[in-house]
Amino acid sequence: MITRITTPLGAAVVGAGLTLGATASAQEPISIGAIYILSGVGSTYGEFAQNGANLAIDEINEDGGVLGRPLEITFEDSQLEAQAAIQAMRKLVYQDGVDVLMGLDSSGVATGVVPVVPEVETPFIITHAATPDATGKLCNEWTYRNSVNIPQNIKGAAIMADESGANSWTTVGPDYAFGHQSWEYFQRYLGELNPDATFSDDPSFPAFGTEDFTPFINTVISNQPDGVFISVWGSDLVNFTRQANDLGFFDEDFEVLMSLGAATEVLSALGEQMPTGITVGTRYWYGAYDNEMNKAFVEAYRERHETPPSYNAQNAYSAVYAYKAAIEKAGEVDKVAIRDALKGMSYQAPMGEVRFREGDNQALVGPTYGVTAEDPDSELRLLDPQRNFAAEDVTPPLSETGCNLGG
Amino acid sequence: MSRRAGLITALIAVILVALWFLPAWAPYFYIFVAAEILILGLFAAGFNLVFGYTGMLSLGHAAFFGFGAYVTAMLLLHFDTPLAFALIASLAGGGLLALVIGFFCVRLTEVYFTMLTLAFGMMVFSVAQQWRSFTGGSDGITGFAVGSFGLGLDLTLGNPAVYYQLTLVIVTLAGLCLYLITISPFGLILRAMAENPERVAFTGIPVRRYRLYSFVISGAFSGLAGGLFAPFTRVASPETLHWSQSAEPVLMSILGGSATFLGPFIGSAIFVLLETWITSFTDRWMLFLGIVLALMVMYLRRGLLGTALDRLTKRG
Repeated sequence: MITRITTPLGAAVVGAGLTLGATASAQEPISIGAIYILSGVGSTYGEFAQNGANLAIDEINEDGGVLGRPLEITFEDSQLEAQAAIQAMRKLVYQDGVDVLMGLDSSGVATGVVPVVPEVETPFIITHAATPDATGKLCNEWTYRNSVNIPQNIKGAAIMADESGANSWTTVGPDYAFGHQSWEYFQRYLGELNPDATFSDDPSFPAFGTEDFTPFINTVISNQPDGVFISVWGSDLVNFTRQANDLGFFDEDFEVLMSLGAATEVLSALGEQMPTGITVGTRYWYGAYDNEMNKAFVEAYRERHETPPSYNAQNAYSAVYAYKAAIEKAGEVDKVAIRDALKGMSYQAPMGEVRFREGDNQALVGPTYGVTAEDPDSELRLLDPQRNFAAEDVTPPLSETGCNLGG
Repeated sequence: MSRRAGLITALIAVILVALWFLPAWAPYFYIFVAAEILILGLFAAGFNLVFGYTGMLSLGHAAFFGFGAYVTAMLLLHFDTPLAFALIASLAGGGLLALVIGFFCVRLTEVYFTMLTLAFGMMVFSVAQQWRSFTGGSDGITGFAVGSFGLGLDLTLGNPAVYYQLTLVIVTLAGLCLYLITISPFGLILRAMAENPERVAFTGIPVRRYRLYSFVISGAFSGLAGGLFAPFTRVASPETLHWSQSAEPVLMSILGGSATFLGPFIGSAIFVLLETWITSFTDRWMLFLGIVLALMVMYLRRGLLGTALDRLTKRG
């Protein structure tokens, strides 16, 4: 759809000095295929991802490309359906002839897509979908993930929950793989940290895309737990929070812990409607990484889009740089070579140095949690205090993942 | 008549041969597009037995299609069943489910029938959506391997070209069966019922029972199409059971021409190709698809094939 053929003139001029054949092949772009939610519920996530990926591509192309060749990217709509995403992947590989793949926003979509990736024999970096199965029981040598997964995300939540002192917990989560797995991991991890913790037998799982959360909000209020763990995300979380405000949910006595409440998509949609003083998490926080790349990334992103980058933007941006590193390491644009170059590879991202773990291809990264606070300069909430979790503190050992691709 | 029939048969034979060799001449991706067209075309043709031939609009046919998809997906996942037997199970499953749902629905006619099929369809959808432990809930059934075909045939079903050719053969055979049904005396009775059920009833034919027969046969072929669809998309998801999936064969039949046997296949081709092309150009593809479909329905009232045949017969 967006085919960005911004062949830098400079490269062409330099190439003119070489033989004619070499010039032609040197200018053929390296093609990335990306699959995100671009329509309907959650399309803001796709938009942020597109922004992040495009920013990285423009930067790299201005800098001379990869192996002297510019990058181009083609986006396809996952429609939040596995079958649509699989068909989009086939189209990107067989029709558009992309060299590498990236994307996926939903766990449900990922569980359908991941087993089919080896069939199209193209490296795939998942940048958002968090189901542990993608780098667990469904893992394969073609599929990588550079983003925080559910166990990493939820381990952080469990540590925050443990430190809050609350003992009886319930959940509100979306009714598909992600919501159920988040709750399972939350119970397991918090149970290990706090043996006194108890978990509701009657958790709430509203369907994804629910418009009226009133019954679920009222259930939690009437149960009066010590804490409620919320894994609802995206526009659902925006709706949930607005309705919860109206029903006095946040004035109640219990702890509120949202595993994805600090997603920039959510914070910018809610503005001052996001209550202060609740614990929220995200898979990348723009203010949490003090390094040159992050500073430049946040600044460039703000300049283009007038909002801070979200985790989805960072993850897409980071995936493009991962492919740059892998292609340079491989020294050629060959699918098998790129796949093998990614194995165990470390590269620099705004989140710092990211390494794909050998054995399950999961990036060693951690979430950020914090308490929502007012920002004097902006309507958006910020996190104060904020806390970064190191990958080694939140990543389950390889033996627990159900995946072993060998070292 | 016989000359025209011969001509049409020859034309279809040429198209089938061209389709068989599609992997040799078309871009690779079109194997997937063609497989989707064939499978959804069979679904629409099965649906059209009830809609075009018997004159009843069902908005619940996704129940049979999706049920077929789940049957095959679960048989492959849990029992490594050879595909041929899984497909037979999908066919039988679709028919059985249609027998149960049809038993209640054919008592009503017109909009009441339509509403009842919609209600039953969404009931099946809800079961699949909520029974997580058995159906995988909203994630559906994924990660099943497509192994052997059975019947002593050694086919590499994982190869998309092979799966496509298999789909072509099965859809052609199933289409032929359906066609023979529509031109049989039974098919004529269905058409007569669509025209005037009272008159048919006066000749002593039990109208309601014939409606049920039509509904069950239609459900069985829809189930078979679903059974082919799951290994093709590699997932059986609740969306295949949703009412919006039921709307697809309606649209396809109308687009292609519900009064012709091949109309639903043509409609399927139009629908899938439009979707494939438009999504390449814009994020707002649903809007454009809607506009194109609305225009086609407005200006080609009898569908593409129906209108084309009308023109031809007028000229001849």
